[in-house]
Parts: sequence; C-alpha cells; structure tokens
Amino acid sequence: MSATFTKSMARNVFYGGGVFFFLLFLALTFDTMKVLPTRDNSQNITPAVAHGKKIWETNNCIGCHTLLGEGAYFAPELGNVYKRRGPDFIKAWIKGQPTGMPGRRQMPQFNLSDADIDDVIAFLKYASEINTNKWPPNIEG
Amino acid sequence: MKYQSQAVAKLYFIAAIGLFLGQILFGLIMGLQYVVGDFLFPAIPFNVARMVHTNLLIVWLLFGFMGASYFLIPEESETELFSPKLAIITFWVFLAAGAITVLGYLLVPYASLAKWTGNDLLNTMGREFLEQPLPTKVGIVLVALSWLFNITMTMLKGRKTAISLVLTLGMLGLAVFFLFSFYNPVNLVKDKFYWWWVVHLWVEGVWELILGAMLAFVLIKVTGVDREVVEKWLYVIITMTLVTGIIGTGHHYYWIGTPAYWQWWGSVFSALEPIPFFMMTVFAFNMVNKRRREHPNKAAVLWALGTSVMAFLGAGVWGFLHTLAPVNYYAHGTQLTAAHGHLAFYGAYALVVLTMISYAMPIIRGRAANPERAQIMEMWSFWLMTVSIFFITLFLTGAGIVQIWLQRISATPMSFMAVQDQIAIFYWAREAAGLVFLIGLLLYITSFFVKGESRAFE
Amino acid sequence: MCLNNVNLNNENSNSANFNLAELPTAQAMSGQQDLPGDFAIWIFIFAEMLVFGVLFVAYAFTRAHNVALFNASQLTLSLTSGTINTLVLITSSYLVVRGVAAIKQDLSKQCAYWLTGALLLGGVFICIKVLEFHAKFAADITMSTNAFYMFYLSLTFFHFMHVLMGMVILACIIIKAWRGGYSTQSHTGIETGASFWHMVDFLWIILFPLVYVIR
Repeated sequence: MSATFTKSMARNVFYGGGVFFFLLFLALTFDTMKVLPTRDNSQNITPAVAHGKKIWETNNCIGCHTLLGEGAYFAPELGNVYKRRGPDFIKAWIKGQPTGMPGRRQMPQFNLSDADIDDVIAFLKYASEINTNKWPPNIEG
Repeated sequence: MKYQSQAVAKLYFIAAIGLFLGQILFGLIMGLQYVVGDFLFPAIPFNVARMVHTNLLIVWLLFGFMGASYFLIPEESETELFSPKLAIITFWVFLAAGAITVLGYLLVPYASLAKWTGNDLLNTMGREFLEQPLPTKVGIVLVALSWLFNITMTMLKGRKTAISLVLTLGMLGLAVFFLFSFYNPVNLVKDKFYWWWVVHLWVEGVWELILGAMLAFVLIKVTGVDREVVEKWLYVIITMTLVTGIIGTGHHYYWIGTPAYWQWWGSVFSALEPIPFFMMTVFAFNMVNKRRREHPNKAAVLWALGTSVMAFLGAGVWGFLHTLAPVNYYAHGTQLTAAHGHLAFYGAYALVVLTMISYAMPIIRGRAANPERAQIMEMWSFWLMTVSIFFITLFLTGAGIVQIWLQRISATPMSFMAVQDQIAIFYWAREAAGLVFLIGLLLYITSFFVKGESRAFE
Repeated sequence: MCLNNVNLNNENSNSANFNLAELPTAQAMSGQQDLPGDFAIWIFIFAEMLVFGVLFVAYAFTRAHNVALFNASQLTLSLTSGTINTLVLITSSYLVVRGVAAIKQDLSKQCAYWLTGALLLGGVFICIKVLEFHAKFAADITMSTNAFYMFYLSLTFFHFMHVLMGMVILACIIIKAWRGGYSTQSHTGIETGASFWHMVDFLWIILFPLVYVIR
C-alpha cells in the first residue's frame, strides 16, 4: 500500500518546490537590495559615470574584457584597472589603439572624444570602488 | 509523421543547423585570434566575432527549441498545430531579424548600430549575450510570445501530457525572464544582479525544463517505455533542477558587489546542482536498458544518451569544479569559466536539439529512420564533435589552471597579457580540436544527403 | 500561487502506482519496510535534508573558526522562545501521529481535528518566530551583521519557510480529510503530508540546540 510513487504527487512536489524556492530567492533578493547601498558605491554615481557606462556598453567593451570577472576572457580585467594603471595611462592607452604590432591582439580605435574618455575613466573608477569581497586576489585581476 | 502540421519543424531545424555552422566558423576565427592576435583585424575584431559566436548559439538553440516543440506538441496533444501558418510567419520573421542583426554586427560599428536602433531611448545593449539592438530584443519577445501562443492553443484543444506541460512552462519562463534584459540600471551591481536573471535562470533554470521535456519525449519514442514511468522521472528531475538551480544563482553573486552571504547560499545550493544532471544520466540509461522495442533510429538513441552524459559532465562536473566560493575566488573569469561554458552548452543544449532533429527529421521526411549508411555517418559526426569539444574543454581547463596559477596564486603574479603568452600552446591545441569539431559538423550535415534503403514505418 | 489546489488524491490512480523496486535509487533505500507516504515526497525530503545537512556542517565549521564571536552573539538569542517553539513543534508532530492513526481507523473527522490542532500549533510557531525576527530586525541585525547572524537568520528563515509550506500541505489534507477523501485503505496523501511535517519538526530539533544552545 505505501509503496507508491505517483505522477500527481511528483507534479505537486515539482510545483510546490519550484514556488517555494522562487519565493526564497525573492526574499534573498529583497534583502540584497536593502543591503546594496552600503556596498555598491552608488553614492558616487555621477552623470559622468552614467555616461561612461553608456560608452562602455555602446562600444561593446565586454566583448573582449571582463568587468568584475564577467565578460570575455580575451583581454585584461577592467574592474580594477583604475587602481592598476591610473587615469592617465588609461587615457593614453585608449587613444593609442590599435598598436598594430604584428601577431599581437589588437584593440580597435573607437574615436572617442577627450570628454568621453574622461567619462569612461569615471565609470571605471566607480567600478573599482565597489565592495567585491576582496576580489580579485591581486592587482593583476 | 502523425500530423501534417508537424512538418513546419523542418524549416526551423534547417535554420538551426545553418546557424550552428555559422557559430562554429566564428568560433574558429576567435580561436585563431587568441594566438594570432591581428587575424582579420580590423575587419572582424574579436569582440564582434564573439558577439556573433554567442548570439548565433542562442538563436540556433531557440530555433531548435521552437522546431522541436512544433514537432513534439502536436504529437503529444494528438491534434494538428493550432496555426501552422503562424509558425511559418514567425519563422521567417525570426530568421530575417536574426540575419539583419548579425549583418549589423559585422558591417556597422557597434556604437553606430546602437545609435540607429534607438539605444538612446532605452539603454539595453552592450552587455554580454544581450548585445542585440532594441528592435531585435522586442522581436525576440514577440517571436517567443507567438511560439508560446501557438503551442498553448494546440495543447488546450488536445491531450495535456506532463511532457507538453513542462515544455510549455519552460517556454513561458524563457519569455518571462528575457524581460529582464530590458532592465539596465546605471548601478553596475544591480545591472549585473538582474542580468543573471536572464542568463542563469535561463540556462540553469527554465531551459532545463525544455531540455528535460524533449529528452523524455525522445526516450518514450525510441524505447517504448511506459509514459507514466518517464513522466514521473521528468518531474523528479526538474524538481531537483529548480530546488538547486534557483538559489544556485547565488554562485554568480560572490564578487560583483552583492552581500557576502551569497557565498554560502550560492556554494551550498550550486554544489547540489550536479544532482539533477546525474539523475538525468541514470534516467536515460535506465530507460534505454529497459526498452521494449528496438527503434530503427539508432542514431537518435546515441544522441539522447550522449546528451545525458555530456550535460552531466559539462554542466554538472565542470560547473562544480569552480562553483564553491573559495575556489571561485581564484577561478572567476578565467579560461576555466570558458571551458565550463563550452562543454555545458554543447552537452546540454546543442546535443538535446540535435537529438530532437535526429529523431524527428527522418519522420518528417517520410521514414521511420534514415538509411543505415546515413546513420553511421551521423554517429561518426556525434563522436567527432563530442570528443573534440571534450578536448577543447580539457585544453581550456589546462589554460585556466595555468592562468590561475601565474596570475592569481603565484607570489609574483604576472600580468594578464604576459600569462596569455605563456598559455598559447593550449590555445593552439584548442584551435586544432575546433577544426576536428568543424569536420564533425560538416559530416553531420552531409549525412542528411546520403541516399539508400531506408526503413519504412512499421 | 497554485498551492491551494495542490491535489493529494493519488490513491485513486492505482494504475499510476508502481513498485519502488523498479527504481535503482529506491532499491538501495527501501529494504524490507516501505516508506510511508508517496515516494516523490521522499526524494524531496532527502534533497532537503542534504541541503540542511550541508548548512549545518558549514555552520559548525565556521563556528570552530570564530568561537568567541559565535558565543557572544548566541547570548542575544532568546532561549525561552526557542524552547517554547521546540515544545510546540514536538507536540504538533504528536498530533499529526494521532491524525494518521485516526485515519487508519477510518475516523475522518477525528483525523481532521488532530491535524487542525497541528496546524494551529504551526501557527503558534510562526507567531513566536515572527516576534523573534522582529526583535532582531528592530535591533538592526541582518544577515550582513556577522557570520553568526548570517547563519542564524539563514537557517531559521529557511526553516521558517518550511513550516509555512508544511502548514499549506496540512491545510490541503485537512480539507480533503474533512470531506471524507481518505479512508483506512487509502490515505497516502495524509502519510505524505505527515512525513513532510515530521521532517520540518526533525530539522528544528537539530537546529535549535545547534544554533541556540551549544556554546
């Protein structure tokens, strides 16, 4: 009698389990959203940062680089590049592309204005100050 | 073929295979760019090639899912498709949108593409996998809704089985979670947090429902095992998927600015994520061992078993390898992630679509199974592609481990580019394995054109 | 939310039942005695125990590295409310046992009464727990406060949700039992719900000493 395994119960467990864990996920999300302001450096989001993020996105930087470890793995991590290289280096680097060295990986020339580059740097500075639980392990990213 | 309208699946399958070929070609271009950095520069920079590679993957899998469901749902529901015409219109709309988008990537600088397609109205572009211009994103939503509508209406007028219910639920989830791709706050942490609601909740959530339903369908067909047994297994497996996978999203929330407790939640639940994949392997082999008949389509059985094993290895084992927070601290964003991505996508999703195509295409073409010679060729292509992707994974894993060592653990860490030079040999090996994969794929395509004596329906 | 129409009437679909021995996983565990209730819930229960088990081990591991912090934070927990809640859950489990015994004698109404008693005790647990959580939140304690509170809030909240889930299941079987949907021969639904409730109780019995008492 008790050796049963029915489809309707399996289905109930599926729906019940699915709803249960999604609700739990929502609860954790709710808590995360409450805690974020203490960690996400959002107090330093200026119009320059917002514009810099847009330039970052509309030039598809994530197609080669990683940002906080996410993206493509073809070019260096940029979440901490502000701390690794500093603003002047970044500006010169973006302007100097492509290097044209034969056989080396090439970064395109995006023809950004000085103001645009400054905004990208502002965005990268903001990103570098997010509390990432001490990731990456060292400055090389 | 039991229902005439199932034939619309053919269009979708052909498109899927064509786009798959495109994906592999761009993969090879990128693989070469890893070692010959200026290859095809500036005509096709790496970021463009990658965008094409990943977007083609997503689109061909979606074509595969749609085709598979247009074949599967009428048969499960025991009725003609609600509207074959709508399915055909949707096909051409999606194909045209996909083609225009890819051409846009290739021919227009991305920034201009963004400007011309209304990215200034609603910023959604330039995030990994969600690079599509706004009109394409809206198009994807409309296509998904049309697909969902057609399938749901078909199901409503016919028999409602667990398989079709789970498949439809998966599609509903796919459509719903894609809506988060329209949310792109300036706050980078929130951006990334909800970006995963599309990416993770797709591939480690609702897509697994689609995967499970399609695999269950093919297994019922080729083994003749009792539907009750298969459907119970299906429910149990997808329950485990959701139990582990939803909170498992937390394994992406370790280092992106989200609270530290995600390291515990994410580690614990994602450590259990291999369980549903393992159950799937046990399930598939169990069903085949208990088969009540010998289906003439041997190739389809091979694809189905291959799906269950490779999904377990790619998603389960390679996922587990770097999912625990202390490991992920070093592995995050390295070639190890790429290794996992390749094997998991191939093992779980590419293979399940190829399984469905392998089972359905001969039937759509009016026979129970392909001629012996065609099947042997198809099985060769399975082994070539599967073994070569496995080697791609091994080489990338090797690259990842050396990269982690030199760049992150060593007392004198090397810079990213210096490390890349050190691991070039792995990239060369990966490219070679990729060429074998291409040969396998070409063989697969050839197998459709092999003539010979084929088994008629019993 | 569709939990309200959770359908627990599997007894009628006998054709859908099949012997556990057909499953390799079941073979390993079934032995001579069959598990009470539906096997599907047991798969779920084992998965849950695994999750809690890993969390408990993680707790113990972290505690071993931060004994002073854990001891200090543990002192802020209310042993009284924890103890009351333990007694509440144990009593409710006993009522569930009486409910199962009642249905085995075909006493549908009595069964519904016993289970309703368990359900109400579940409600008492929830109320006490909410007061406890409220006190913690009022003191600005969150999961990000320290490692102990992370575990304390995670474990107890995760368990809290299980109690709610158990109450939904109990409510479903009470309604069906009240309407005479179960009998001596056919009461797998009740055994299934009871199994889940006992699991929830059992987890608390481990959780309570682990998090509240052991210093």
